[in-house]
Amino acid sequence: MYRWFLALRWLVTRPINLLGVLAVTVGVWALIVVVSIFSGYLTEIGRHLQSSTSDATVVRLPDDARFARIEEVLRRDPNVAAVAPRIVWQGLVHPLGDDAGKAPPPAGMAELGAPTPFVAILGVDFEKERDVSGLDAWVKDVADGSVRASDPANPLAQVGDLPAVMLGRQRMQDDGARRGERVKVTTGRLVADRSGERLDFDDGEYVAAGAFESSFAAFDAFNVFVDIATLRAQLRSGERRVPDDWCNEIAIRLHDPRDAEATVARLTRLLDAIDDAPRGPGLLVRTWAEANKAQIGNVEHQRSLMKLVLFVIMVVAAFQVYSTMSMTVTEKQHDIGILTALGARRAGVLSLFLTSGIAIATVGAVLGVGLGCLSAIGLDDFNTAMRAVFDVDLFPVRVYNLKRVPYELDPTWIGQVAGVAIALGALVAAVPAWRASRHDPAVSLRND
Amino acid sequence: MTDTLLAAEGVTKEYSIGSRTIAVLRGVDFALARGETVALLGSSGAGKSTLLHVLGLLDSPTAGRVAFEGRRVDDLRIDERARLRHARIGFVFQFYHLIPELTAYDNVRLGSMMDRGLFAWLRTRRALSARSKDLLERVGLGERTSHRPAELSGGERQRVAIARALIAEPAAILADEPTGNLDSKTAADVLDLLFGVSRERGLALLLVTHDEALAKRCDRVVRLHDGRIVD
Ligand SMILES: Nc1ncnc2c1ncn2[C@@H]1O[C@H](COP(=O)(O)OP(=O)(O)OP(=O)(O)O)[C@@H](O)[C@H]1O
Ligand SMILES: [Mg+2]
Repeated sequence: MYRWFLALRWLVTRPINLLGVLAVTVGVWALIVVVSIFSGYLTEIGRHLQSSTSDATVVRLPDDARFARIEEVLRRDPNVAAVAPRIVWQGLVHPLGDDAGKAPPPAGMAELGAPTPFVAILGVDFEKERDVSGLDAWVKDVADGSVRASDPANPLAQVGDLPAVMLGRQRMQDDGARRGERVKVTTGRLVADRSGERLDFDDGEYVAAGAFESSFAAFDAFNVFVDIATLRAQLRSGERRVPDDWCNEIAIRLHDPRDAEATVARLTRLLDAIDDAPRGPGLLVRTWAEANKAQIGNVEHQRSLMKLVLFVIMVVAAFQVYSTMSMTVTEKQHDIGILTALGARRAGVLSLFLTSGIAIATVGAVLGVGLGCLSAIGLDDFNTAMRAVFDVDLFPVRVYNLKRVPYELDPTWIGQVAGVAIALGALVAAVPAWRASRHDPAVSLRND
Repeated sequence: MTDTLLAAEGVTKEYSIGSRTIAVLRGVDFALARGETVALLGSSGAGKSTLLHVLGLLDSPTAGRVAFEGRRVDDLRIDERARLRHARIGFVFQFYHLIPELTAYDNVRLGSMMDRGLFAWLRTRRALSARSKDLLERVGLGERTSHRPAELSGGERQRVAIARALIAEPAAILADEPTGNLDSKTAADVLDLLFGVSRERGLALLLVTHDEALAKRCDRVVRLHDGRIVD
């Protein structure tokens, strides 16, 4: 009993212990705040990637792929809710305004989100695409829900006699383009000829029929939407022959996205079993997570790295607790002696100092967890306030293409951090505690 | 010898420093009867503290035996010695040895926590808290219970230490120069207190002192000379 009593008394009466508490608090706080933000960021991108990629996709479809046939096969799986064709192509987009002849900026200038004409052109069937991805929501204004397009029913419908292109809202702003303005979309493709292959370019004139905005600015900056039929026609001109319902990617929405992996395996088998199924080299059915593995893995890796770096703070905190406990034991020789005289056993003295160390670590961990959670939750407001009052951007959300500072408090992680902090406290207190228990009371009680 | 509480029989204590061996106690025979007050005199370095520690089971004799209530105890397991020490023996030291972070009241209470687990203590804490207050009242510090040792005078600190020694209701008090650090007036008061509680409670008191006059107040005076007890 006395060990709890004394350990807690020492904790609150000895300023040196507060140093240990503070060190543990800082370590736990940092581990919780930074990792929570990373996790929130991961969730944020994950959510976006899933909504832009769709739950699963069939990619690298060959030139003779026919959507209707593949759709029919895919729909045999009970988990497939919706299927949409896509043609994903590379290209350039520039407004056909006064500066129609403007050359693209050098590659180095095309930073994240900065205007660059290089884009992925996504040819989609709006009616089908809205069922598999977030496109339907992206074309709507967040504020009033109105559709940011000339034709709200089908934003990709022709405007006059020109085809429509949907640009990212930020891109429209950066390019100074307005709705209804004409833009040039250039695509290229490899054509076989006698000397090998050559790259054919093809310009198409489009109308900026509307703007879309996803939750991820980088996606908006590097993608444009056009009607799939228009793009197909543009790519088909020349010698290239493709079926009328050709597409090179098929987006699939699942009833139960959590079952994506098993569904993808089933779909792969289904496609393999069909005689006239497309068998292009490298044809692949994959989940949204597989499709975006590199991007997600990159952030996950950064998060792991951060954990490792921040763990160093914990180690420093552990050293602080160690030296605190070590000093306490040295300073408390007489008290150990008198405790022994009063009837304390060796194990009791040991656990007294162990309890002391654990108490320091526990209070530090509790404070760290509390402050960490509060900081994570309040960081966005704090960031906004700092920006407004001092014009300091602590967490430049735009750099990360986010609207607010993300966070996700994972109870498992919080538990792990607190647990490790307390375990470390016990571990480093064990050595001084052992020393204390070996102390000969007769020495410190002698009158000199 | 039926009423012997604490006894040393042929106790020797040697310390070895490097290759040298110093024999501090060379065969001490000593008995402390129940309720008896004994003064232990001896020059500095004679081994008075050493004997007190051996008798109080804080230290083990090199040879010989220590008996408590007729039972040999020096060879008990360390935990059993701790239990016995807690329950039956109270210590008072020259330098008080109070825990500086605790109030007088908590220092006294601490003495009652040693052998109790958290729950046992919670069950009995009311009674023990009342006892701690009563004891502080008895030693004349009823008004100073919430003071830390640093806020108390030497005499007051020693009174707290005496109250602490009494909380577990021991059968003997071993006091190592309890007034060695006090002026003569305060020393006399503290000794009055020690003799007083010893008489009230029938406690045996072994009082280590340098002061012949104080020693005379005890029932019996023994001297430690050359590692042996001489009367
Ligand atoms: N741990 C130890 N190692 C070596 N020698 C020791 C140890 N403890 C005590 N001694 C020696 O034993 C002798 C007796 O010491 P003790 O403290 O018992 O004397 P004392 O009679 O209490 O003296 P004082 O009146 O000064 O308190 C001293 O010479 C001391 O140096
Ligand atoms: Mg001494």
